[in-house]
Amino acid sequence: MPMYGDLGNKLVQHAKRTQNLAHLPPYQTELIRAVTREVRDLDKDVASLLEPFQGSFDPSADQATACTLLVNHLSMRRNKRCLLAYHRTRTDKLEELVWNGSDVLDLAGQQAGGANGAPAADGGASSSLSPQEEDYVRQYGDLLAAYKGQWTDIDLTGSLEPPRDLFIDVRVLKDAGEIQTEYGAINLTKNSQFYVRHGDVERLIAQGYLQKLG
Amino acid sequence: MSYYDIDLILTDAEKIPCTFQLDIPDLGYLDNTPTQPLKAGTKVNLPLWLAEMLAIANAGDAEGRSFVTFDLPPALGNDVVQALKADPRAVPLRDQSAHFYGLATQMMELSEEQELAAALRKTFVIRASEVALHARKVGGAGQRGKGGADEGSNLGVGGAGEEFLRGLDEWERKLFRKAHDGTKSGKEWMESIKKH
Repeated sequence: MPMYGDLGNKLVQHAKRTQNLAHLPPYQTELIRAVTREVRDLDKDVASLLEPFQGSFDPSADQATACTLLVNHLSMRRNKRCLLAYHRTRTDKLEELVWNGSDVLDLAGQQAGGANGAPAADGGASSSLSPQEEDYVRQYGDLLAAYKGQWTDIDLTGSLEPPRDLFIDVRVLKDAGEIQTEYGAINLTKNSQFYVRHGDVERLIAQGYLQKLG
Repeated sequence: MSYYDIDLILTDAEKIPCTFQLDIPDLGYLDNTPTQPLKAGTKVNLPLWLAEMLAIANAGDAEGRSFVTFDLPPALGNDVVQALKADPRAVPLRDQSAHFYGLATQMMELSEEQELAAALRKTFVIRASEVALHARKVGGAGQRGKGGADEGSNLGVGGAGEEFLRGLDEWERKLFRKAHDGTKSGKEWMESIKKH
């Protein structure tokens, strides 16, 4: 027999699994909808329970109704907590991904669209993020860029490991176009290999365009 | 302790046995009989998030009764506590509840069971040192067992150890992971120092 709050619990179990994953699993649109529907139903129940009292409900005069109201209220409160915790777990993860410099929107599209590497150009319907989450990532990315912009001589999202060598070998995993370096322009086409300055390509490695060799 | 704490929210879903103190026409569904009123004296297992407030809230009558009274869940029942007193390491807490300590802490806040609290404290202390021991061994075996990975993990954990680790509750699991990762990182750091 399903009970109020059971669906919310399922959502939190999803969140628990998400915590231990490197990537972000698909947004549980259906479940979210079901939980919010449950809250609306409960709210309707409360309204109809209170209607005969015309705004002058006395809990001590009608304890049974008071108890029903309390149960309804607690169920709504529980659902709210489950919903918020689920979304918070996901936004925490998204923020982490943004700080790590991974291309979150591209990544999400790829995961859902299979391994053929097609970017999410089909309106994001196959993305593992909800439209709101995509918006969140975009705006959080802008915020981080603005914050970083205040210090031009230090890269806040750069690696904390001091480099062993100034130059490294990299292989190109995805076409990344042309980049400008101190030693001229390099055209990064897929499967080619380069010996480049670490600092010049650090971001591209983090974003998954290049792979460090050796 | 956070509103958004996933483990805390899951702990709150653990059920405890409750007894309703008054007839409530609309809550029959809690006892699987949606069409019938819930009679006073009905026993129902309710999740903590619901039971807690129903037990604390005053029903509003002269005697100051609450809507429900509750008992300790089976996970904290006499059998389990006796077994824990005999040997805390021999009881797979996970089989009682995945959030054993979380559940126990919540129950302690609702009722003062001095003896139970003392038994649980002792249980945690004894088991925690065992957890730490295993966490160190697993890391060590991984280093030694370069030739055969299977042999290595057997050396470290052993049959009885594996059984014990399987019975850890969520809190103990976290402890194990922290202790294990700590040992591993420490070792890695030492080795990187030697290299340079």
